[in-house]
Amino acid sequence: MAIIEAPAPDQLALPSGEVDTEFKPAGVFTRPKSGSTGWKSWLTTVDHKKIGIMYGATALVFLLIGGFEAILIRVQLWSPRGTLLSANTYNQVFTMHGTTMVFLVVMPIGAAFANYLMPLQIGARDVAYPRINGYSYWMYLFGGIFLNTSWLLGGGADGGWFNYAPNNGILYSPSHGIDFWNMGLLITGIASLAGAVNLIVTVLNMRAPGMSLMRMPIFTWMTLVTQFLLLFAIPVLTVAQVLLMMDRTFGANFFNVAKGANPLLWEHLFWIFGHPEVYLMILPAFGLVSDMLPVFARKPIFGYPFIVFSGVAIGFMGWGVWAHHMFVSGIGPISVTAFSLTTMFIAVPTGVKILNWTATMWGGKLRFTAPMLFSIGLVTMFTIGGLSGVTHSVAPADTQQTDTYYIVAHFHYVLFGGAFFGFIGGFYFYWPKVFGYMLNEKLGKANFWLMLLGFNLTFAPMHILGLQGMSRRIYTYDAGYGFDLWNKVATIGAFILASSVFLFIFNIFYSRSKAKSLPPVGADPWDARTIEWMIPSPTPEYNFDPIPTITRVDDFWYRKYGETTDGKLVRIAETDDVVQKRSDGKHIHLPSPSYWPIVSAFGMPIIGYGLIFNLWLCLIGGIIVVGGLYGWALEPADDPDAAHDDHDPADHGSDDGSAAAAITEGADAGDVATEKEPETVG
Amino acid sequence: MANAVQAHESVAQADAHAPHAHIDHDTNTGISNTKLGMWLFLASECLLFGGLITTYLLYKHPLEGPTPKEIFDIPFTSTSSFVLLMSSLTMVLAVSAIERGDHQRLRIWLGATALLGATFISGQIYEFTVFVREGLGFTTSRFSSAFYTLTGFHGVHVTVGIIMLMSLVLLSLRGKLPEHRSETVEIIGLYWHFVDVVWIFIFAVVYLIP
Amino acid sequence: MAITSHDPIPTSQLDGAVKDYSRDKVYVLTALFLGVLTVVEVLTYAFPDFPAWSGNLVIAVLMILMAIKFFTVVYIFMHLRFDKPILSWIFWAGLGLAAGVYFVVMCTFRIFWPGSHG
Repeated sequence: MAIIEAPAPDQLALPSGEVDTEFKPAGVFTRPKSGSTGWKSWLTTVDHKKIGIMYGATALVFLLIGGFEAILIRVQLWSPRGTLLSANTYNQVFTMHGTTMVFLVVMPIGAAFANYLMPLQIGARDVAYPRINGYSYWMYLFGGIFLNTSWLLGGGADGGWFNYAPNNGILYSPSHGIDFWNMGLLITGIASLAGAVNLIVTVLNMRAPGMSLMRMPIFTWMTLVTQFLLLFAIPVLTVAQVLLMMDRTFGANFFNVAKGANPLLWEHLFWIFGHPEVYLMILPAFGLVSDMLPVFARKPIFGYPFIVFSGVAIGFMGWGVWAHHMFVSGIGPISVTAFSLTTMFIAVPTGVKILNWTATMWGGKLRFTAPMLFSIGLVTMFTIGGLSGVTHSVAPADTQQTDTYYIVAHFHYVLFGGAFFGFIGGFYFYWPKVFGYMLNEKLGKANFWLMLLGFNLTFAPMHILGLQGMSRRIYTYDAGYGFDLWNKVATIGAFILASSVFLFIFNIFYSRSKAKSLPPVGADPWDARTIEWMIPSPTPEYNFDPIPTITRVDDFWYRKYGETTDGKLVRIAETDDVVQKRSDGKHIHLPSPSYWPIVSAFGMPIIGYGLIFNLWLCLIGGIIVVGGLYGWALEPADDPDAAHDDHDPADHGSDDGSAAAAITEGADAGDVATEKEPETVG
Repeated sequence: MANAVQAHESVAQADAHAPHAHIDHDTNTGISNTKLGMWLFLASECLLFGGLITTYLLYKHPLEGPTPKEIFDIPFTSTSSFVLLMSSLTMVLAVSAIERGDHQRLRIWLGATALLGATFISGQIYEFTVFVREGLGFTTSRFSSAFYTLTGFHGVHVTVGIIMLMSLVLLSLRGKLPEHRSETVEIIGLYWHFVDVVWIFIFAVVYLIP
Repeated sequence: MAITSHDPIPTSQLDGAVKDYSRDKVYVLTALFLGVLTVVEVLTYAFPDFPAWSGNLVIAVLMILMAIKFFTVVYIFMHLRFDKPILSWIFWAGLGLAAGVYFVVMCTFRIFWPGSHG
């Protein structure tokens, strides 16, 4: 390959008389060429956009798996004494349903949007550590596959998604299911942690000129808060899981009551992680909605600082409420009172957001497009879920609600009605930016109404079932308790919900086949406000050329529109004149692709299997991981020989320091102060 | 400084070669991405070790088997703690050596740091074997599980640090650690000091507080 | 070698560079200080009846000594003191959060109450 044949640059003398030798790629791992296409380019990519798309696609596949498990649950509960699943299988199915939906669907869709959009919204070329970004994705994929292979290797985890001790011990759950759960989530946890560091650094360090924190789009803000939550929550889960692994694999006594252990330790650690976790699932959807509503109301977001700081406040307060999951565990009256109060308080910033969204729509020229419908769906459905959530803060009531279907109804209203509606809306909204064609609007609206109907039919009856006393996680019920009717309604609703998901997937393929006969969507199909709509659709590999200078919130909008003195909106420029044209991007230096992220990520599930089946496998996995990391560390972050025209190899060996000047020549001096190169160190 | 003039020349040359990102930070905070990332990681590690220490404090009184008071050898652990503490000094000296462009001293100090770290780890392994011989196995009691997991986790962190330090020495020997990359040393130093700081905490809370 | 089109780049602008190297002396003194504190820590073990740390007072004394050592390393050796404030904020966020949540956990287990073990 050309990479090897390129003339070696002059060796570099160091003051100590040493030389800086050039990196020689080893054998099969010759550095992949940048800008290549085909399946190989996806395996080695470090492009945040490709990684974002892979996150989203993988999450949709896991959504189908988790959805199938949900359908199994609902069919089993269709009538009293259901016989589809045995009690044991039912335990595995609901555990894996919850685990899949939380860790492999909702969190990764959030990561998909964060990866794809956040660098565009701040005007960056890529994330701070492109290779670590690839590593995060592969760890997530391999962790998810690892978790699901448990079905083939002796059955899934069966302790509920939070796997309370001592039920998660070897005594009560002798199969390998919980080991798979434990190891799989440790692997995806590493993915999340690496992603969190990566995205936080990107937001803090790589914003375009003029993009101060208080000019960032709300989605970027919520990404920042979310990633901070992940950064601090994941290690707590890791501790819990390490303790559990020690117990199950090496016979430690962390949750062994016979040796004086306290199983409540698991509950505390899990929920210290688990409550920030629920906020970090919802906040990205909040961010998306906060960016979509102003577009379709043609008004700026109401109270930008309030919506930002309420998000930050949710992030902070989310750390002080975990024990409200434990009101019936006997933590004592003082703890219960304290956590009741903090739980009531956390409703305040959430209420602020609801108010701001409503006020944003108030008096606006509303356009009821599919993304707008889904956004309004989030605002309304989340409010219902939020209100049932506040009832949990009242400890006496919560004591009645704990472990009933009321809880199931509550968290599906916030996670499905909240997060998922926001994400589907986000898909409709950003599809043209990502893929260059619109999703069909008529199907989109049908999709919304079908989903809304199915969702409410499924989960609204669960409020009633719960208050009637139907327990969650019980594989069947007897006739005569009055549970029959509402269970049937919920099951019918689940099928409608499933069909709405299939309608969405159908819409993707249908719209793609129709797209060829339609005119191209252009940069800005929605008349949107934030700067990611300034660049051609689908997004070029280099994102912005040149990188814009930001002067205010909704910068792109105010390049198109101005205000008269009496506050009337007037168009000051045609959209076509303010959006960027596609350039060949040859002068832009992008991070180079690499094999090492996928290689070193591949070792992790092998270590996982090793801990479960045979410790020797750990050695093999460990060698792959360590070898991968060494290959990674020794490979320069940027391939100095990657092709970019006005930065030819001669520059590398020159001794006049002109390379830095050369890189800025292509930039449009009128629009950009200094061309920023991403500092690619990952 | 005569040294500095020389350094300027080669640094300019180095930047011409592996360019622009190193000339100045070009970041909104003025901190390089790597350093910011390392601090974020360390902040996250606080919650990791916090959880393990909490577990230990919860379980430090065993129902059976040896108690901490009976088994700890404070003079021995004090010595190895002191060794680890001094490795922080050699680490900072390594960082200032490379910032001066003194590659010889860099390697000496890095090697010394790794050696002190290895001494600490050997001490820990010795301590563990003695404890096991005295009847404190990993599965003996809630205290033993918590103690071995906490200190073992810390030991793994030290070991990873030693491997990174040795890798730096090798890189430097092969001439791949020019002073415009001094930040690499600084950042691995941050990790190293953090591991030391965690031990400062463990030494006081686990070993010394009765 | 001749540097033509650009002025030389001062080392002080490079990543991680410090402007004056007299900090080596600071580092050595800091290490001495840390060593002395460690000796005092060990003395509490060797002479448990010394009045300055007799009885339960020893816990407070050890925690204070530990905190001083901890922040000396963080602020001098990890040079937070000389670095941009945002790094201190980040570290404090993690440390404070950890201290907060885990302290509450320990309180709910009542491990600071006498007679709670067993």
